[in-house]
Amino acid sequence: MDAGIEIQLIAALTAAGCAIPGSFLVLRRMSMTADSITHTILLGIVLAFFVTNDLSSPFLIIGAALTGPVTVWLTELIVKTRLLSEDSATGIVFPLLFSIAVILITRYAGSAHLDTDSVLLGELAFAPFDRMIIFGTDIGAKGVYLSGGLLLLNILLTVLFFKELKIVSFDPVIAAVMGFSPTLINYGLMTMASLTAVGAFEAVGSVLVTAFMTAPPAAAYLLTHDLKKLLIISCSIGGASGILGYNTAMLLDVSIAGCMAVWTGLFFMAAFVYSVVRKKRGAAAKC
Amino acid sequence: MNIFELLCDHTVLVVVFGSALLGMVSGLLGTFSVLRRQSLLGDGVSHAALPGVAAAFLLTGTKDSGTLLLGALLSGLTAAGLIFSSVKKSKVKFDAALATVMSSFFGLGTVLLTCAQKLPNATQAGLHSFIYGQASSMLERDALVTIICGGAILAVVLLLWKEIKVFVFDRDFALQLGIPCGRINLILSFLTVLGVIIGIQTVGVVLMSAMLIAPAAAARQWCDKLWLMAALSALFGGISGAAGAFAGALAPGIPTGPSIVIAASALAVFSLLFAPKRGVLYRIYLRHKAMKKEESYGCGN
Amino acid sequence: MNLLKRRLSCVVMAIIVLLTASCVPAENKKEDKLNVTVTTTMLYDLARQIGGKYVNVQGLMGSGVDPHQYRASAGDIVKMQRADVVVYNGLHLEGKMGDVFASLEDYGKTVICAADGIEESMLIKHDGVYDPHIWFDVSLWKLAAKEVANGLSKADPHNAAHYAENFELYDKQLTELDKYIRKRAEELDENQRVLITAHDAFSYFGKAYGFKVMGIQGVSTAAEAGTADVIALAQFIADNRIKAVFVETSLPVKAIEALCEAVRARGFETSLGGSLYSDSLGDETDGTNTYIGAFRHNTDTVIDGLKGDDEIE
Repeated sequence: MDAGIEIQLIAALTAAGCAIPGSFLVLRRMSMTADSITHTILLGIVLAFFVTNDLSSPFLIIGAALTGPVTVWLTELIVKTRLLSEDSATGIVFPLLFSIAVILITRYAGSAHLDTDSVLLGELAFAPFDRMIIFGTDIGAKGVYLSGGLLLLNILLTVLFFKELKIVSFDPVIAAVMGFSPTLINYGLMTMASLTAVGAFEAVGSVLVTAFMTAPPAAAYLLTHDLKKLLIISCSIGGASGILGYNTAMLLDVSIAGCMAVWTGLFFMAAFVYSVVRKKRGAAAKC
Repeated sequence: MNIFELLCDHTVLVVVFGSALLGMVSGLLGTFSVLRRQSLLGDGVSHAALPGVAAAFLLTGTKDSGTLLLGALLSGLTAAGLIFSSVKKSKVKFDAALATVMSSFFGLGTVLLTCAQKLPNATQAGLHSFIYGQASSMLERDALVTIICGGAILAVVLLLWKEIKVFVFDRDFALQLGIPCGRINLILSFLTVLGVIIGIQTVGVVLMSAMLIAPAAAARQWCDKLWLMAALSALFGGISGAAGAFAGALAPGIPTGPSIVIAASALAVFSLLFAPKRGVLYRIYLRHKAMKKEESYGCGN
Repeated sequence: MNLLKRRLSCVVMAIIVLLTASCVPAENKKEDKLNVTVTTTMLYDLARQIGGKYVNVQGLMGSGVDPHQYRASAGDIVKMQRADVVVYNGLHLEGKMGDVFASLEDYGKTVICAADGIEESMLIKHDGVYDPHIWFDVSLWKLAAKEVANGLSKADPHNAAHYAENFELYDKQLTELDKYIRKRAEELDENQRVLITAHDAFSYFGKAYGFKVMGIQGVSTAAEAGTADVIALAQFIADNRIKAVFVETSLPVKAIEALCEAVRARGFETSLGGSLYSDSLGDETDGTNTYIGAFRHNTDTVIDGLKGDDEIE
């Protein structure tokens, strides 16, 4: 497959994969979760490094992957006390975990080139060259399988638990009355979101993780009330941003991820203008 | 060096004093952000400042910190403006608008950086981290800038205290009273953005985000009155700044910035657990006492 | 919702159009010259010196770009695809990208890892991990040059003799540079040979040329300094009367400024000795875009600064 096609494929799959949990994050007012995870990943990497002492160990990626859920669990813990809002809880957890990581690195590993880029590729320009080789056959770029896998997983879980997710997102009290634990669903959702975020970090880099997880759902939120439509529109906008972003970047020879992130912002702006115009027309029509 | 010598050391004094001051200013500004559920504005503005820095470099060709900071400030203010107007004019919530604007601005910054990377100009090196300072490299001029800006911010807040108080707690009532809410919002946002940009240049992004949230979050657990919360938040911020900075001076290999974050977070966690009335462990203790009382009444019959 | 449906179908059509449009046919490979893609500016210079007029070198990182902060742009994909030969530093300097480069062997490209030419015993280890800044020791860079020459010869046996010849010539130049550095270093006394910078990149330089090397913070860009470290270093500078400390072109100046302030508070004045090319070479304008040019500049800056001469930049 041509490198350009593969990059767009990875971007589109990642965008769609992020848009699904991202939609629920936006509905739960936890949009900054993705950004929070991109900071705390360092701690997971550092701790894994202390165990293996080897920068090329696959254990480091596992360490990175585990930090996602740990970050959101700690945040959920604080939110549950109902003493702080979601944004404050997020804003206490990630600086703390990140600072612990920096202290550990400085004291015990200051001379090792320990940083997220030594563990996570996160660069679309090189993704086509990172191949998946099974039994000696090259079956495509690793990124395609990673992002495709995450998307499938997200779709599966969303379809299975759609009713529960819908109720918990819009009315947690009714959920408790109906007999299933909103807490469990929440933790499950946050875990899935965090693992997707780490996977997206590896596939497309930190610049895009937040962009793909929040901008398309935020835009879709302005365009529809229906959850199903929200999910579909978010995925479409995400995919479109990926493809348009790649082509713009090729035209201008600049950062691919940056262009994609800018496009998500442009789609949001478009949706915003559309919703404002529609509101005005609606108000005018009533006169 | 013993403690006494440390306290008289010039560098220690600059860092401790500067950090304490920055902590107090952040604590004050953070009070309003936390109450308005806009705590992560600091983190958002830090990311949104990148295109301003890159653009300033591309336009002027110099790495002069004044120019770059101006670019950062303009970029941050534009982002803040976009965030607030999207929240006001549509149903999108603050956190979603923040994450969206912040990530697309940061993306734009990355695009501009890759443009700069291609110029045959070695001075573009390190542009990305240029505006992100470290607490341990605080200079006298940083402390001075913090005093001046901090003083200005405090003055404005005190001047508009009555309006701010009503605006933060009950917006509709404020509108009824004829308070110009739009302008108050603008002023508070401008002060916050200014504080953030000065702060990240001095101590970096993560520390600044923490200082805008942790002290205020801690203070919130101890009182309900706004003025008390603001004062307590400033106090907590100042203490964390000083304590963390001092810890960094006690032994080698203890990074100053992260130590300050640990201090502030510790205060926040302590408050969440033990503050009277709201604290988690405190509430458990009260419930335990109440249950014991019930039992004793029951057995008495 | 009809309007919405129409919009959605427009978007879908646009996507299909763009996908077909981006199906660019594979680039015709460049005919006579060998296409070499490299990472750092040091390797760019090296590849050009060894390859001469038989190679077409493309660098991924421009002058002044810090390898730790490098961000790829879309055009880099084409540079990677077109390459017949890929040269990278290794020892985790390029992070995960290094692993990707290594796997390009399977793509039918010749992959040269500069650090492979150096025996493990000659490498410096910090905290259990190898220091990747091998270019600071000219004798190690010679070994890297040999590795590049071998690799180019393997990829292009037709011109192998030319690459070997270029290598011999360049090897002599590097020997001259090494002599120059040693000669200049002798102008300083033992206790004057202290090189202080913002981060610990100069270990190989220190080991090869007899300098004590001290940085405010370690190699990792994620590490942060503490006030105690700054004070300890400032005290050391004041006690030993070190006349200059040095800035690196790819790092912010502030940490060194704070250090100078701390030294001043101890009653000694150390000057900002000048800018050193550490993780990247310089511009064409002053000849520092070559390895030899940049390192002569570094040597002169360091020695002059530590001697306390007036020609400080």
